Amino acid sequence: MHNFSATKKRLLLFILFGWLLLLVGDRVGELRQYQGSFVAMYTLAIASIILLTGYSGQLSLGHSALMAVGAYAGALSTNNAHLHPVIALIIATFVAGLFGLILGFGVARLSGPYLAGTTLALAVSLPSLANQFPILGGEQGVAFDVGAPPARFGEDFSQYKWFFWISSLAALIMIWLIANLLSSKYGRSFRAMRDNQVAAQLTGINTGRLKVTAFTISAGMAGLAGGLLVMLISGVSPSAFPLSLSFSLLTGAVVTGVYSLKGVMLGGLVLVAIPEIADSVVNRIGGSEGFTATLPGFLVSALLIAAVLFAPNGPGQLLKKKH
Amino acid sequence: MLKFITAVLTSLTTGSIYALMSTALVLVWRSTRVINFAQAGQAVLTTYIGYEVIVRSGSYWVGLIMAIVAGAVIGAAIDRFFMRPIFKRITTGPIVMIAPVVATLGLLGIVQAIIGFKWGLTYQTIAAPVSTDGYRIFGSVIAFSPFNLMVLVCVTITMLLLTLLFQKTNLGLALRASAHSPEIAKLSGIKVDGIRTLGWALAGAAGGLAGMLFVPSTYLYPNAMDVLLVFGFIAAVIGGLDSLFGAVAGAMVLGFAINFTTSYVSSRLVFPTAFIILILVLLIKPAGIFSNKKGRRD
Repeated sequence: MHNFSATKKRLLLFILFGWLLLLVGDRVGELRQYQGSFVAMYTLAIASIILLTGYSGQLSLGHSALMAVGAYAGALSTNNAHLHPVIALIIATFVAGLFGLILGFGVARLSGPYLAGTTLALAVSLPSLANQFPILGGEQGVAFDVGAPPARFGEDFSQYKWFFWISSLAALIMIWLIANLLSSKYGRSFRAMRDNQVAAQLTGINTGRLKVTAFTISAGMAGLAGGLLVMLISGVSPSAFPLSLSFSLLTGAVVTGVYSLKGVMLGGLVLVAIPEIADSVVNRIGGSEGFTATLPGFLVSALLIAAVLFAPNGPGQLLKKKH
Repeated sequence: MLKFITAVLTSLTTGSIYALMSTALVLVWRSTRVINFAQAGQAVLTTYIGYEVIVRSGSYWVGLIMAIVAGAVIGAAIDRFFMRPIFKRITTGPIVMIAPVVATLGLLGIVQAIIGFKWGLTYQTIAAPVSTDGYRIFGSVIAFSPFNLMVLVCVTITMLLLTLLFQKTNLGLALRASAHSPEIAKLSGIKVDGIRTLGWALAGAAGGLAGMLFVPSTYLYPNAMDVLLVFGFIAAVIGGLDSLFGAVAGAMVLGFAINFTTSYVSSRLVFPTAFIILILVLLIKPAGIFSNKKGRRD
């Protein structure tokens, strides 16, 4: 009974938050709506990392590649198969999930360095693969056109607001599902496995299968985020998914606190804010082309190290440190 | 036949460069139990240092030696002033499992950004000290040049020196003992922390050498060594992550597999080949083909 009311409370909370986002989306300009869509997309991608790393203890550097898989699946569904964009996003989720499942059978059972290195290899090699198959469109990639917002929303419903609605709604629904999953039997099993694998096995948890499950779900979430990303930039190409994207997601996850889904939006905000901050720094002090291009990467990495060193369990840790 | 000979020679050359990278990764893994993803950054940074020295002094060889020295110094400094504080600071909670790896990733990003600040994102070149025109065999030019031969010789000498160091000196014994069992090594009076820093220094030097031997056949830019890091990792996994011999043998397996696939099947298959080999090894024998894990209890 208690559990039921907790689930209900969470649903209400998410609906309330969604309504709040809706109100905010009505009151800000197009740039903010566009940035808000990116926050939602990054938040979803970071949530997929938190599920994998924070809850099941596996470290992946290949989420940029998993996002790319979802992105290509989504783009091909709209561009070549002429499916509805929403269906394309669902396809993106499932294709990336399936890819994660297959990969998961191979590597997800492996621990520590093996999974990290293998996913790194994936992230480095997948974009260059995309160049070699004509159907994937080479460097130009494949277009993803989400289409104009439905006419019933009225004349002044802008494209950016439409982006914002789709991204926020997709992220909200997905994260709500994951939050429910994590407060269920699965969530407890994940945590048990992360904290003590042997003890988890003793209680009858099939850790091998559970790791594959976590990897699959995480891949599906990343695929949806990838689909959203190419919707926002209206097309998918290999260069949209560099290795540094994986690092950014990891930074977002560590900054939010990798062991809790609660503050996950903070990570999305940080990832959207960093290029802005870098821009304003460059505007103020100037700098060479190399400085301008690498400053965001520098900030992301510095933040990653700082977060690991000083607040590995999230910013909440800094606040209650006094005890 | 000519194609076969060329493929063998190219495999040996690329395999030997992978071997330097996998050796660097294994040296750090043995001493610290961390896959040092920053190795790609260290290697490319030392190669940039070598590049600067070559520009100023005009000699590739001075640049090569400076790059190796710089690689060792940077490697040792990273262990002493970056990794050691992290291990000291983070001792509890599940974060212990991922913090060191995450730290090396952050370091990789920082190093590559610093290179971008200093040298920009443009492609630089390092001219090879000897000819890169292929040898002529039976009147036709093959894809194996004096420079490739030089790479092969340099790597062979390095590997021989490393083997001597590990097998014939007290320092090598200390290195092996600390890798095998840090606790027992400590009990027998080995300064394990210092030995670990030495492992990082050796790895850094190997990375610097890898960069200086790799870049003349391609370009120098901040991400130049990322691919080599991946191949080095795959080679190290084939070899079992723990053994230096395995690292070299794994690199050769990978070099041969990649070059034979690309010259006999399709030149597009570099990454698929490497990735499939990695997955196969992980599925069939995750401890590595050349691993001697049986006799050990860790």
